[in-house]
Amino acid sequence: MTATTLPSPRTARQIHWGKFFSRLLGYLVLTLGLSLTLLPFIMMILSSFKTNLETLRVPPTFWPENPTIDNYLRIFNDPDLPLLRFYANSAFVAIFNVVTTLFTSALIGYLFAKFEFRGKKLLFGWFLTMMMIPTQITMIPSYVILARLGLINSLWGLVIFSAVDAFGIFMIRQFCQTLPNELLDAARIDGASEWQIFLRIVIPQLGAPLATLGILAFMNNWNAYLWPMIVLQRLEVRTLPIILTWFNSTHTGQGGLVMAATVLIILPILIVFVFFQRWIVQGFTMSGIKG
Amino acid sequence: MSLGFARKRTSNGGLASAKSRFVASVTIPLLLYESLGVFILGWAFALMFFDYSPGRLGGPILGLGGSNPFVGLGNFIEMVKGTSVEANLFRISLKNTLIFAVVILPLNLAITLPLAWLLESIGSRFRALYRTIYFLPVLTSSVGVALIWMTMYDPQAGWINAIIRFFGGTPVSWLSDPRAGFANVSVAMWAVILAYLWQDYGYNMVIFIAALQGIPLELKEAAMIDGASPWQVFLRITIPLIRPTMLFVCVMTMLSSFQVFDIIQVMTNGDPGYQTQVLMLDIYKNAFRYQNMGWAAAESFVLFLIVMGVTLIQMRLLRTNWEY
Amino acid sequence: MKRKLFALIAILAFVLAACGGGTEISDEPASGETTGGGQGPTVIRIWVHTNNAFIAGYDALIAAYEAEHPEVDIQLENFDYELYLQTLQTAMPAGEEADILQLFGTWTSQYYERLAPVPAEVMTVAQAQELFYAAPIGGYIVDGVLYGMPQEFNCEYGGVLVNKTLYEAAGLTYPPQWETMDDVIADALVLAQSDNTGMMTTAGFHFTSADPTVASFLAGIRQRGGDYWNADQTGFTFNTPEARAQLEWMAGAVDAGVVDPIVFNDSTNFVIDAFFQGKVGIGYIGTWAIAEGQANFPDFADEWDYFYLPAIEGDPVFVADSGWGLTVSPNSEHQDIAWDFILFATASVDNAAQWNIASGTIPAMPAVAESAEIAEAMPWIPKALDILPYGQYLGNMPDRDLVVYEIIYPHILNVLQGVETIDQALETIDAEANSTFR
Repeated sequence: MTATTLPSPRTARQIHWGKFFSRLLGYLVLTLGLSLTLLPFIMMILSSFKTNLETLRVPPTFWPENPTIDNYLRIFNDPDLPLLRFYANSAFVAIFNVVTTLFTSALIGYLFAKFEFRGKKLLFGWFLTMMMIPTQITMIPSYVILARLGLINSLWGLVIFSAVDAFGIFMIRQFCQTLPNELLDAARIDGASEWQIFLRIVIPQLGAPLATLGILAFMNNWNAYLWPMIVLQRLEVRTLPIILTWFNSTHTGQGGLVMAATVLIILPILIVFVFFQRWIVQGFTMSGIKG
Repeated sequence: MSLGFARKRTSNGGLASAKSRFVASVTIPLLLYESLGVFILGWAFALMFFDYSPGRLGGPILGLGGSNPFVGLGNFIEMVKGTSVEANLFRISLKNTLIFAVVILPLNLAITLPLAWLLESIGSRFRALYRTIYFLPVLTSSVGVALIWMTMYDPQAGWINAIIRFFGGTPVSWLSDPRAGFANVSVAMWAVILAYLWQDYGYNMVIFIAALQGIPLELKEAAMIDGASPWQVFLRITIPLIRPTMLFVCVMTMLSSFQVFDIIQVMTNGDPGYQTQVLMLDIYKNAFRYQNMGWAAAESFVLFLIVMGVTLIQMRLLRTNWEY
Repeated sequence: MKRKLFALIAILAFVLAACGGGTEISDEPASGETTGGGQGPTVIRIWVHTNNAFIAGYDALIAAYEAEHPEVDIQLENFDYELYLQTLQTAMPAGEEADILQLFGTWTSQYYERLAPVPAEVMTVAQAQELFYAAPIGGYIVDGVLYGMPQEFNCEYGGVLVNKTLYEAAGLTYPPQWETMDDVIADALVLAQSDNTGMMTTAGFHFTSADPTVASFLAGIRQRGGDYWNADQTGFTFNTPEARAQLEWMAGAVDAGVVDPIVFNDSTNFVIDAFFQGKVGIGYIGTWAIAEGQANFPDFADEWDYFYLPAIEGDPVFVADSGWGLTVSPNSEHQDIAWDFILFATASVDNAAQWNIASGTIPAMPAVAESAEIAEAMPWIPKALDILPYGQYLGNMPDRDLVVYEIIYPHILNVLQGVETIDQALETIDAEANSTFR
């Protein structure tokens, strides 16, 4: 299609052989990278089926000698470790934050893209600044405020300061600018209220960026560690990553058990990801570079 | 018909006011919410000029003053030339953070860019599978990553030492030997860097893949036909075309490595002998273990200045080289 | 959607109102709620740190007290240790802490501004000093005022776990007959094992975790006749001949090969974990390790026991923190009941003994420590009776954890690991520790 002149037979064969070798080499390198990526996961899963004595063996065994599911049973039957509760805590925080940030990002991003109002530049500049300010600088006063509100040890404490996400606003604003004004004006002429336009016309157009934003937000919230560790001090309200460190510190030297807990805590999101992975790559194409 | 006309008339007359009502109904709550943000930011700014601990009663306004005295620039002066344990640890942490960020960046690029390019140029039905697997560590909770790598680094039962022993080498106490090092960076630091790279590289790979997909195929094909080797195509065409992406990736990688916390807190908590104590960890310990929040706020400000500097450089570079 | 925004505004208004209030103590403390105007029991809340053995002890005390006082309902809440600190630090300024607070005695000097003094009719300072060992009560007295009662003698000095199986395998006499510390080192050298690459696999004498290192350092200074406090306790003196002698002794033990502090320290092969995996012959650690080791390592098959080390020089003088005890919030509406419960729990020989047995701790009262009940339940405590009277209180430090965990221990470990000289370490410890006085 692009080549208007055909290459000569000699160069074509050269390209063919070169292609073959470079492909082979490429596959080798890629597969090596792949194994190095997978190996720690495999070790984790294999260790979780070993007895604690076997995990202390020098040199370590690769395959479990006597595969056992005892580690998993011990975790499920541990009365001090209500796993379902911790999954629920993590899910609550992640889902609530995803829903609120998606809503506020869509709304404010749309506002910035399609409306003119006084102080718009100032407000926009504020969000620009907020994007550059690392969370740790506001961590301390935020914590003291939560403490004064009695929201330490409350899952609401993880939600209250993350209702508006500057990055999300930018991404949606970028996207909304491509929406044709005629579409919105036509709806206005048909008598739709501004809220109806936003909810019924704008939001459906934002499917792709919202999906991406949602997945990234879910991932960040699900794996969040520092802020939840500071805010959630009681066992029963903690989220999964903090539970994992707690479990590790109370079961030191019991490698198999800790690896089983790790498997249980990281596996769900990996499985979810496999179904949603194409959105992530799309999202990076849209937001990462052009956003 | 007449009804529609009437509606149109009213909506025409009220269009501007409907719009401004909508704007108001969004911006007013937003301004209220953001005023909380301004308040928090102002508080954070004030804190660094005080010797503030929430355990003390302090003055009437936000507990500032009184037994939480105003120290002016005292915290910053102490950071530069103090001999207290806080000042010593701050300087160690700053140095470690810089080492961490500076080592991570080239290693990350050296892994991600060639791998992404290989994956893109090979083009097969396995591509999605490869990409999915490369991205798995990114999704894994850093705590999980830290625990997995800790078992591999275990001096006795860990796999890494088992391999070293197999080849007749001397095993290393990866996370606890303060004496061992490589290229002036301690082994413990290398150990956390390796774990961090493993977790993080899939992220940049996906960004690079996205950028590489954006390069018009015609350009590459044309070059190949002109007799250029794949390596030449990579150097002469691909690299220049994805330069903006590279800059973006560099800056984002720097930023996140300046703020590293989770993986180090779990793996070493700053050990051995503070060789892996990074700024975020020092801030966390000061603020929440030793209740030395004024000092921690001042440290956060220093970190903020670094992050701000890197971001400004980013914007500078990206502005000149954005579109292709 | 509008409703949602309205809710957002409401939250904001709430936030701003709450923040505007500053740090004045909340006018409605959450503590001591009574139900329905005098009807129903008076609720007393207790906060403690999470330790299942401790909690079992408290539950028994609470049940006994409630049986005697049906009008009182005591509610126990527990927090993970690391985070109990944070909870106290945030709840106390907000006035939301419980009526009774479990406190580590040494912390009292950091918290006393926000604690209720013990009323004279409950107990005077002189009575308390009479009743309890010097080390445990010391921390609860700040500027001559008593703020609480200790429940345990937190003795990190001198106690060691000894692995009988390893002793017998090495052909050593068991139980160990130690006259001097040289005997301990001699045993340890026989017990220590390394693999063919030179990496230590069994530590002979593991004294390189944080608490044991600091305990033996400070005790060594005192036993050699020195002190780490200046005359009026307003500054530290760590750069002394006695401190140097003790540090040299510790470095000498490491050089001799009793332990490799690279592989055996506080973060790698922590003494409890390593001992209960059979990787330690003699493990220096407080008695609290016994309960924890048994709970965490049910599969450990080796035989072992608990002993006390001989003094390095002269009498077994040592310093100790004031251990866990109970204090009262000044915001509590029922301070009288709170103090009554604390007396019931800490000053009654029977009750205190029950609590010490349940929690596996050393009693804070000599009368309890010497009782037959304790000797039967915890056979290692009679062994400690010889040294407990020599225990002195550590002294009120501006920030004890900072001095112990971020200053003394890291620098000593550096010396033992060979990355810092003794001169450097003593100078830095002295300078950094003194900088904590501001």
